[in-house]
Amino acid sequence: MTVEVAIQQALNGISFGALLFILAAGLSLIFGMMDVINLAHGAFYMLGAYIALAAVQRTGNFWLALVLAPLLVGALGLIIEPLLLRRLRGRHLDQVLLTIGISLVIVDLVGLVAGREIRSIPFPAGLDRSVPIIGGDYPVYRLFVIAFGILLAALFAFIHRRSRLGALIRAGVDDAPMLAALGVDIDRVFATTFAAGAALAAIAGVIAAPVFGVFPGMDVDALIYSLIVVVVGGLGTLSGAMAGGALVGPADTFGKVLFPQFALALIFAIVAFVLLLRPTGLLGRVRIAR
Amino acid sequence: MSDRSNRLTRRKFLVASGAAALAAACGPSATPGASASAAATASAAATAGKALKIGVLLPFTKVYAELGNSMKRSTELYLKQAGGKLANRPVTAIYEDEANDPAVGLQKTQKFIEQDNVDLMMGIVATPIAYAVRGAVDSAKMIFIETNAGGNALTRDIANCTPSCKSKYIFRSSFSSWQISSPIGDYFATKKGVKEAFTFVADYGFGTESAADFTQSFTKGGGKVTGSLKAPLGSADFLPFVTQLKNQPTKDIYSFFSGTDAINYIKAWNQLGMPAAGYRMNGAGFLTEQDVLKEVKDLANGAVTSLFWAVTLDNAENKAFVDAYQKEYNLLPDVFAVQQWDGLKAVDLALQATKGDTANKDAFIAALEGTKFKSPRGDFEFDKTTHNPIQDMYIREVKVQSGQAVNVIVDKIARVTDPGKPTT
Repeated sequence: MTVEVAIQQALNGISFGALLFILAAGLSLIFGMMDVINLAHGAFYMLGAYIALAAVQRTGNFWLALVLAPLLVGALGLIIEPLLLRRLRGRHLDQVLLTIGISLVIVDLVGLVAGREIRSIPFPAGLDRSVPIIGGDYPVYRLFVIAFGILLAALFAFIHRRSRLGALIRAGVDDAPMLAALGVDIDRVFATTFAAGAALAAIAGVIAAPVFGVFPGMDVDALIYSLIVVVVGGLGTLSGAMAGGALVGPADTFGKVLFPQFALALIFAIVAFVLLLRPTGLLGRVRIAR
Repeated sequence: MSDRSNRLTRRKFLVASGAAALAAACGPSATPGASASAAATASAAATAGKALKIGVLLPFTKVYAELGNSMKRSTELYLKQAGGKLANRPVTAIYEDEANDPAVGLQKTQKFIEQDNVDLMMGIVATPIAYAVRGAVDSAKMIFIETNAGGNALTRDIANCTPSCKSKYIFRSSFSSWQISSPIGDYFATKKGVKEAFTFVADYGFGTESAADFTQSFTKGGGKVTGSLKAPLGSADFLPFVTQLKNQPTKDIYSFFSGTDAINYIKAWNQLGMPAAGYRMNGAGFLTEQDVLKEVKDLANGAVTSLFWAVTLDNAENKAFVDAYQKEYNLLPDVFAVQQWDGLKAVDLALQATKGDTANKDAFIAALEGTKFKSPRGDFEFDKTTHNPIQDMYIREVKVQSGQAVNVIVDKIARVTDPGKPTT
């Protein structure tokens, strides 16, 4: 592999990693704040992609889809949390079951409404070209994905450290009951968190749609990848999702190219290795069960 | 702080999410039900005039659901046109979902054999499922018309029958992967004068077989395969692979992908400017079937592929079939619908020859072997030694005609017959 090819493949890996970060961020946020493993995350991702498909088909406007999908899916999260999830607070395995159930319902409804054919969304105008970059042409859309991922990460970092919302989140992750005791409406915080996590999944669905397509089964792929990313990066922290994306994306890309037979095994080897060395994941918080 | 004890530990998370991921990955695994309902030996006696039960095993969930739906539509259309009767026997089609899972496929096959006592079986999309049910079908002496899966071994003499081998009870109305992949290799080397090619296929049974068959015939015709690349099935991100393709000098790429993979591949191919750099996309016909073309539009322009059918194929049977299908469903039929249609047509003709008798297996098999008819794909007959169809292969090129991307037939290779045994 020449240097030019290596650079191009590194870019491919980083853009895949950026996408994985966007995908896993919502899962990590919900887990960190609410202690809920949201296995409907893949279904929210799928729903986002299908809303984008419908929006692009009707208006031809990708950017509208990128706004509309997280709003709608976020609103759905805002309904699901108080209506269903809240009743099971603290009952983790029941919550896992519930989120699996929610995902099955969403996936089947999507299939019923949108059909089960494979679909695709064209790249947005302006981003469908390639630009010359060290040693060859590189697709603009992938550069956009990288930029979007970095921007989102910066926005998170800012909110997390500088805003009142960030303070609430940090406090909630540390000790939600104490936060409630201090007079914060914890129900509202949880509902908002769940909606934000769902909206993030939908954003990932829209961003991924032009590259990966829109099809039945996409929810499972996305869920497995996002679980891998949060386990490697560390549960419950956004920096963990970033680290996970940054490691898994390039590893997956180079693995596929260099040893295609072992690509999937390579990913799981990384998971096992990270868990051996750092059982909490790369940037995971030590959480002691009391 | 008592409710802290409820807090999710890392171990609980891993157990729960691991179990969920596993469940998701494996799909609805075979639930070992009480399928041991024995006494399945009561094979139908004198059957003429009695209701004819056909067990149709197709995927109605998961990635191939739309293929299953297409084949079900084709079945229903055929039976409707036949007035619900074949050779004067009223037909009941029993549909089951194989869920793209060999264990489920085998379980449903046993249900057809033991509980439903079907007279014959049809369907199956994915090759691993066809291989998985082969033994059960063969030992139950169940006539099985396989209507999609193209794994070579299913209709060949194979040592130790591993992974599979032909059976006198199994007929195939679709194709063997050799038929799709080998003739185009020869065509490229001898007729098109292509000197060098590079293979890039999906890393699973069919893709590997397809690359091997292409390589063999292309090399035999005087060409040279300069290298190969494989992508795991359902690779999602094709950019890394196309980057590799672009950084090697051979311009003619032979590919096997279908469905979502084909769409993602074609889009990545264009994003990296492969056409402008002089690279040519070629492959097995599924790469540019309608499900793919309607999504990628003109992006696959110029791709040359081989298949035994195209919606544009100009013959009376195809016109009638396409018109009827479109009228009934307001949809263009796809190649899977054709395969199912031809499977039913063969059954129909064989039943007429035996006057509706399916109990005498040998007579029914002989009748199936003797069927010859005009199919939407052209002349159709089974190879008597392998039970795989003898059929023409069309070389097709994607062109945009009045704003629509379609496969235009540029050449024909007549009466392609599978060798019936391993070719290496």
